[in-house]
Amino acid sequence: MELGSVVVVPAREGFMGIHEAQPYAAAALENRRPFYSTYSTRMPVLGNDILQSWIERVRKLGVQSLWLTSDASSGSVAGSALSELARQGLKRLLVIKLKSYAEMDLTDLVRFHCERRNPVTEARDSRGQLGVSLLDHRALRAAAEKQSSSISMTTDTGRIPYRFSGYAKRILSATERQELVRDGLTGACAMRPAGTQIRDQVWVGEGVNLADSVRLVGPTYIGARTIIRAGATIGPFASVESDCVVDCGTAVERSTVLPHTYLAPGLLIRHGLVDGDHLEDLAWGTVADLKPAGLGSRIQRRDLRSATRKPTFKPTARETAPDAFPGADGSVVWDFSASSTASQPWLQVRL
Amino acid sequence: MSTPARTVLAFPCAANSGRRRTLRTDLLEALRVSSSPVIVDVSGCYSLNQEDIDLLLDCVAQAAGRDTKVLFVAGAPANRVLLEVTRISSVAPVFNSVTEALAYPQMPAENDGAGSDADSKDQPVSESQKRWSA
Repeated sequence: MELGSVVVVPAREGFMGIHEAQPYAAAALENRRPFYSTYSTRMPVLGNDILQSWIERVRKLGVQSLWLTSDASSGSVAGSALSELARQGLKRLLVIKLKSYAEMDLTDLVRFHCERRNPVTEARDSRGQLGVSLLDHRALRAAAEKQSSSISMTTDTGRIPYRFSGYAKRILSATERQELVRDGLTGACAMRPAGTQIRDQVWVGEGVNLADSVRLVGPTYIGARTIIRAGATIGPFASVESDCVVDCGTAVERSTVLPHTYLAPGLLIRHGLVDGDHLEDLAWGTVADLKPAGLGSRIQRRDLRSATRKPTFKPTARETAPDAFPGADGSVVWDFSASSTASQPWLQVRL
Repeated sequence: MSTPARTVLAFPCAANSGRRRTLRTDLLEALRVSSSPVIVDVSGCYSLNQEDIDLLLDCVAQAAGRDTKVLFVAGAPANRVLLEVTRISSVAPVFNSVTEALAYPQMPAENDGAGSDADSKDQPVSESQKRWSA
């Protein structure tokens, strides 16, 4: 096998959904530390799945399959896993840590790596690492010899940067995420809102329910099956993702409302990220709990496992392979709970 | 020039209905006897629940149409966020501390309801805001 690829999704909580409040409950207690970063990368951006966008880029390399894994700490790949890949005769391994959205031509990265003949090539932009690395068999072997190590520790030497000058945005903070939303809405990046453009700079997903008196101020996006009730104002620069309910008279400006969120009537959400019953205020850099005040809550998801849609990718069972099942919006939800006993769960995805 | 006397009322956090009624009575009394601003201090509250928000809105409603102004001291930044989300800060000045509120109107509120609320977050961050920032 010439080239293999691994996508590392940071923090197991990212898969496990936002019902598990522990990661950000602590943040809420502190009232200061933003909570978004604990599970951000799996949240849709304008209805788009960042993981899927990377998978599409990998697919263009002609790779037959890739490995998905999660990591609760540094976003690195365990040395034991690398050694197994090395034993399989892999010549090169592409590792993507899911911490950014980058419109990168991976073919060009591979070409650069092959030309330079260095053990590790790391994609960087003007702000630093993008979380995309390419390792050759030497680096893989080195990792295999250090069973307990990770890529980030084993490949410090021989690391050659691949300078990426295209569009890239980190998505590990709510502020950066909102910047990506803004860029997607204004056409500053290739990501387009996943929906139908109903008028200038206004996009809506399937099954959106808008009351007659709703005011949509572009650029703005409303995700699939979201309900916007009478007198509400959405936009500008707002993204209300799928399966939300924005109640009467509430205004959402320059903000994102993550899926399955209910917002009470008459609110003003500005410069914020709302996820269920928590609001991260980007201006104040603080998290407020909306639930005690009855201002917001999580809408219980339907039983996703019983959904009838089939996933886009066909996961292959392998050792402690977790479950993959279709999300309510048709995207694939990777549930690693089944392999919670494993130190690092893995999932092979056929492309 | 003498500074007019101010009334500072501590907001009854997690209070029972009796204490809430007391605050409401005290507030109405303060509004009736004084033309100077009445300061409602929420800073002792760790979080605000639905009844708290209702009571704060009641305070605003009671002050509406009178000569007296109600000022709020938010305390925790999360409280301030909730005051903004519920638009209370759009109609009543909100301060970080009682000291700042006592200096009003010499010291304008960071998010003064009398001012332009719409762009308040786009304005430069004040010293007190910096103190709260993460």
